Amino acid sequence: MNRVLYARRRITNNVFLILSLMAAAIGLGWLTLILSTLVTNGAVGFSFRIFTEITKSSGSNGGLANAIGGSLIMTSIAVVVGTPIGIMDGTYLAEYGRDRLSAFLVRFVNDILLSAPSILIGLFVYEVLVPRMGHFSGIAGAAALAVIVIPVVVRTTENMLLLVPNTLREAAAALGSPRSHIIRSVTWRAARAGIVTGALLAIARISGETAPLLFTAFGNNGWVSGLTGLNSPMASLPLVIYNDALSPSDDLHQLAWEGALLITLAVLTLSIVARFFESRRY
Amino acid sequence: MNSMAPVDQNQKVRIDIHDLSFYYGAFKALKNVSLPLYDRKVTAFIGPSGCGKSTLLRVLNRIYELYPKQRAEGKVLLDGVNILEGKQDINLLRARVGMVFQKPTPFPMTIYDNIAYGIKLYERTRKSILDDRVEEALTRAALWNEVKGKLKESGLSLSGGQQQRLCIARTVATKPEVILLDEPCSALDPISTAKIEELIDELANEYTIVIVTHNMQQASRVSDHTAFMFLGELVEFGTTEKLFTAPQNKRTEEYITGRFG
Repeated sequence: MNRVLYARRRITNNVFLILSLMAAAIGLGWLTLILSTLVTNGAVGFSFRIFTEITKSSGSNGGLANAIGGSLIMTSIAVVVGTPIGIMDGTYLAEYGRDRLSAFLVRFVNDILLSAPSILIGLFVYEVLVPRMGHFSGIAGAAALAVIVIPVVVRTTENMLLLVPNTLREAAAALGSPRSHIIRSVTWRAARAGIVTGALLAIARISGETAPLLFTAFGNNGWVSGLTGLNSPMASLPLVIYNDALSPSDDLHQLAWEGALLITLAVLTLSIVARFFESRRY
Repeated sequence: MNSMAPVDQNQKVRIDIHDLSFYYGAFKALKNVSLPLYDRKVTAFIGPSGCGKSTLLRVLNRIYELYPKQRAEGKVLLDGVNILEGKQDINLLRARVGMVFQKPTPFPMTIYDNIAYGIKLYERTRKSILDDRVEEALTRAALWNEVKGKLKESGLSLSGGQQQRLCIARTVATKPEVILLDEPCSALDPISTAKIEELIDELANEYTIVIVTHNMQQASRVSDHTAFMFLGELVEFGTTEKLFTAPQNKRTEEYITGRFG
């Protein structure tokens, strides 16, 4: 045994370990700093008022109720519309398209959509919907968010379906099961945890989006209710944070911190739920 | 070489493979293979890796058609009807010709649903009848006693050997006429293997069985006829007893005595 060689290898090993630890510390350090700032600033003066009062002008003890409501409504619509489209599209790519030219094109466009700046998507929906409707609206906001949901779900669905071993498809086919039945009863089921995770991650992604809502939902300091409410400008948490953080008054700054904390907690919860689904194998 | 397989006049031919060639893209994996598969007998395909024995098996239920670049030429007559002709409904064919794979492939659902899956594809049955069919299939696959208390548990919770018997039960439950087994024991321990071999013996009373195996002892134990394949050609076909004790071809002899392969 060459002792010099072995000693050198041990030193390299330690250097490598130290470098990795340092990189991890730097990454996690910033994250901790961001989270602690958020928690300290958000938790100070945190009251349940934010759930009951709507946004008001500075000095009048406003809350975030309308913004929370608007975010929930638009996110829900975007997910209900975007997820099925995304799942079907991802299913086409993984089960039918595979190496076909059409699948290649769809995948390529999807990748572009996935990495498109979200403000571009907002502009696109603004161009298409807002002038036709004549005004900003919750519907336009939800549409913009749905456009963001689709590529995320397409990508995860395709990847998760590709992880399902072909032998499972063969086994179902060997029993005389037609293709669409195999997909519905076997492959989707085998990939279910992953597909659900993809949808949850898409929700996490859009619940923090501000740019696509700027000129679609626009924001609203009042309550909107009922189906007609969807047709009018709608408040959302990220929009309120954006506006309040830029305002000169301290009470609005405080409200922005509280809103940011709320979104972060919601996304954190979703991520934990997603992890849970991911780790659960049937 | 294109050895014409001898036809045993005393037995009924269930599947007659005639001049069959198979292509993976441009690669010719089967070269003009002809042989009969007898009714309610066990036929084993043996040969070294890559000889085409699994490929041949995969033609018999046209499972290869899941992949666009694979195609077969020639005739495969099942009860006198060429299954390779387009007019055949492929799903009905697969309901008649069942298949069990090398690695166990339980579906991600309960043990009960795994068995009921195939039955429900082609039959509308009452729950009580379905229950009976599931029990019958699991009993035939010698698995009932081990799983009767946990039918609602996931099929994936079973051991490898149990999973493979579950897959056999699933195939049997749909009442096919022919059962194809693609190295069904290669991922199993000796005890599970023995159980499955017993099962094959039992099933041969009712079904025409074709088994691909790497294990020559297994071929000699379970089969009535054996086909030895090499490089995509059928080298020799005959009764298992004759092929293993008095092989006609030198390559067969070399393979079964372990001198190559």
